[in-house]
Amino acid sequence: MPVQQHIVFKAGVRLVSLIVLVIVFNAVYKNFLWMDDLDKHGPMLYNLKQVQDTSDIIYFGESSNFTTAETDQSTAAISEIVDDAIPERVGTINHGAYHAGMYLPLIKQIDPTSSVKKVIVTMNLRTFSQDVIYNPDEASLQQAARFYQPAPPLANRLFAALKYYDSKGGHERDREKWHAWTYDTLKGNETHKFEPNTIRRWCEVDKFIDSNGTVDMHKRILADQYIKAYGWQLDSSNPMVNSFDDIVEVCNEKQLDLYFLILPENTEDARAYVGDNLVWLINQNVNWLVNRYSNNAKLINCIHDLPAEAYIDRDKIPQEHYYDFGRRKIANKIIGELTEN
Amino acid sequence: MLFNSVAFLLFLPAVVILYYLLPHRYRWILLLGASYFFYGSWKVEFLSLILLSTVVDYSIARILDSWRGLWARRALVGLSLIVNLGVLFVFKYLQLFLPDVDPMIVNIYTVDYPWKGFLKQAIYFSIPVGISFYTFQTLSYTLDVYHRRVQPEKHLGKFALFVSFFPQLVAGPIERFGRLMPQLNTKQLFDYNNFQTAFRLMLYGFFLKMCIADNLAPLVDQVYDHPDWYSSFTVLFGTMGFGFQIYADFAGYSLIAQGAALMLGIKLMDNFKTPYFSPSIGEFWKRWHISLSTWFRDYLYIPLGGSKQAAWRWAIAIMIVFVVSGFWHGANYTFLIWGAIHGSLYLIERMLKPLSVKVPQTARKVLGAILIFILVQLAWVYFRADSVHHAGSVLSSLIRSKGTSTLQIPYHVAIVFVVFILMEIAQYNVRVDAFLGRFKTPIRWILYAAILWCIAVWSGLTNHPFIYFQF
Repeated sequence: MPVQQHIVFKAGVRLVSLIVLVIVFNAVYKNFLWMDDLDKHGPMLYNLKQVQDTSDIIYFGESSNFTTAETDQSTAAISEIVDDAIPERVGTINHGAYHAGMYLPLIKQIDPTSSVKKVIVTMNLRTFSQDVIYNPDEASLQQAARFYQPAPPLANRLFAALKYYDSKGGHERDREKWHAWTYDTLKGNETHKFEPNTIRRWCEVDKFIDSNGTVDMHKRILADQYIKAYGWQLDSSNPMVNSFDDIVEVCNEKQLDLYFLILPENTEDARAYVGDNLVWLINQNVNWLVNRYSNNAKLINCIHDLPAEAYIDRDKIPQEHYYDFGRRKIANKIIGELTEN
Repeated sequence: MLFNSVAFLLFLPAVVILYYLLPHRYRWILLLGASYFFYGSWKVEFLSLILLSTVVDYSIARILDSWRGLWARRALVGLSLIVNLGVLFVFKYLQLFLPDVDPMIVNIYTVDYPWKGFLKQAIYFSIPVGISFYTFQTLSYTLDVYHRRVQPEKHLGKFALFVSFFPQLVAGPIERFGRLMPQLNTKQLFDYNNFQTAFRLMLYGFFLKMCIADNLAPLVDQVYDHPDWYSSFTVLFGTMGFGFQIYADFAGYSLIAQGAALMLGIKLMDNFKTPYFSPSIGEFWKRWHISLSTWFRDYLYIPLGGSKQAAWRWAIAIMIVFVVSGFWHGANYTFLIWGAIHGSLYLIERMLKPLSVKVPQTARKVLGAILIFILVQLAWVYFRADSVHHAGSVLSSLIRSKGTSTLQIPYHVAIVFVVFILMEIAQYNVRVDAFLGRFKTPIRWILYAAILWCIAVWSGLTNHPFIYFQF
């Protein structure tokens, strides 16, 4: 055999062997190790596989669903309260810091032959902000999302190890966030003028200075956190909007009834610490979402439903963690929507 | 672009195929373009620094070659040092003099030092990867031209390729001009044996990085994040774990770099030779990060007088070399201490040498290796810790148990670690490609399959880049 033919033959044998090896590896992995890996690295797909055959409704949420306070009379999650109140069975898929980009691959994985007929997806307004989009922790979420992709299990495992997901480090995300805070401008109207018109400039404005020139740093930092959380305007280029659009499409394809739950935000403190302009932005963004999705999903809008006292972390950070009476109020609104339809 | 990424696994074959399809005279253009693409994939702006370094050292070397006056030539070398080390200083060391505040809030909340805050933030947002590696590579070129060890490169494009050759650009091995450039200039023919060797090097390199370093990283991080939560035994595990993590991370990177270059017919120098089996500190530094050790030997130790001087001057030279070598790793006093520890150990070893008792050679090697292993692991604490205080708390938790928490070590980590130890023992006097080549085909393929299984199924999922990228 000529030398070149020999080399091609050897390479061919190796290639075929490799393909056979990969097929065998995938079979072994899928049957013996995959579920363990899912449990550790992609826990929500693991949960979905557990609940989709025993649920009529699946509630997709983040920490707002399950976070409780020590003083709570009841530690029931929002989805549990709903489950107790209606005849349909409600399964829960929830994980801290999850957002539309994480729910999407999971909803894609709902088996059309399962008992699931409805999905409730939380819309947390803060997740549309630059602060969350460029969060340094996003890489670890994206790694979990890799496990949720519809690909052979071994491929997902290997792709996760090879960082085949949005694996940018905290450094790079910080840079992008700072860029957005510096250059994303806010557009007001006659009544609500934005000067300064970027998050960065807005945060740099002096706040809470008393007559002696002393700054109340606690209030100032909290005010700036509210600006970072809500000081932006939605448009269709927002990556979370793209994910919600896709969720609508997937639910249509799978013939699932889709409910978007717009979570309550602490607008009272937003007004107190920053002012009317920030609340105007919150309302504007919520209206934008309502206009975009009211025709292709059922919207449960709770944005102003809770008073400032309902928020567990109100003295530390703007966050959608509610005391039990707050969770119950949200659950009641969901129950109302579900039973109405 | 990381080596352990899908992007690189597509990029490398594409470059290799094009390389062998192109006529030799155009290959440098392909490799230069590929190298800039590889580096620019982190951030395009980084290319400006590498271009600056390239143009400055190319120009200075050309002028050096034509100038005869000693002082003029020294001034030119001084200029090269100022530019290269100046860039290094700005991006790596200036932060030592800046306030210790979070760069993400510095301009928002801090009114006390606005310009320092701005500088801190600017540096934070623009730290380039691998700057210490290519800076040292270009510096060695200028110094070699100055000492007339090599002729300056006349072709700017080919010189740019020497500076930026992608397999070894961001974390070495730091190659010398006299060794790398002739290979880049030679017409490399397709050689099946090179590919076979490259495959073996890269396979083991990926195993080291993905199965050992990436699996150990989260365990080590847990211990270093809260050393006072754990018993001494667990902290000892974390300390040794870091020793193996950094070795697997860096040696793995070097092997992949060697393999990638070899696919293009280029032989890069060995950077590691089972360093943890070294029976002495001197031997350790002949086996660990060899390209950097030899760089410091040739461009700092020998100019400081080397071994041909009074004992006290020699001792000072040794300490300078080790401390500077520590500082090369980063702007933190912990690296200075790490370098000083190694320098002191080296001096102590040399001082005790005349007193050494007669012991059979094998026993001396084994006992020496155990002792050096322990000392090196303890020194790593300063390398890994965030601050001197942090290192102190790790060491104190090592001496006295402060907590009862335990680490959960997954079974697959234990398995890959055993495989790793066996592979390292087998490679004591032979590189991994030669070791694997000793076996007959069926056995060798079973070994390949086992390593591939480890990589595919048991690799770590931590999102750590290569440790040495930060340097």
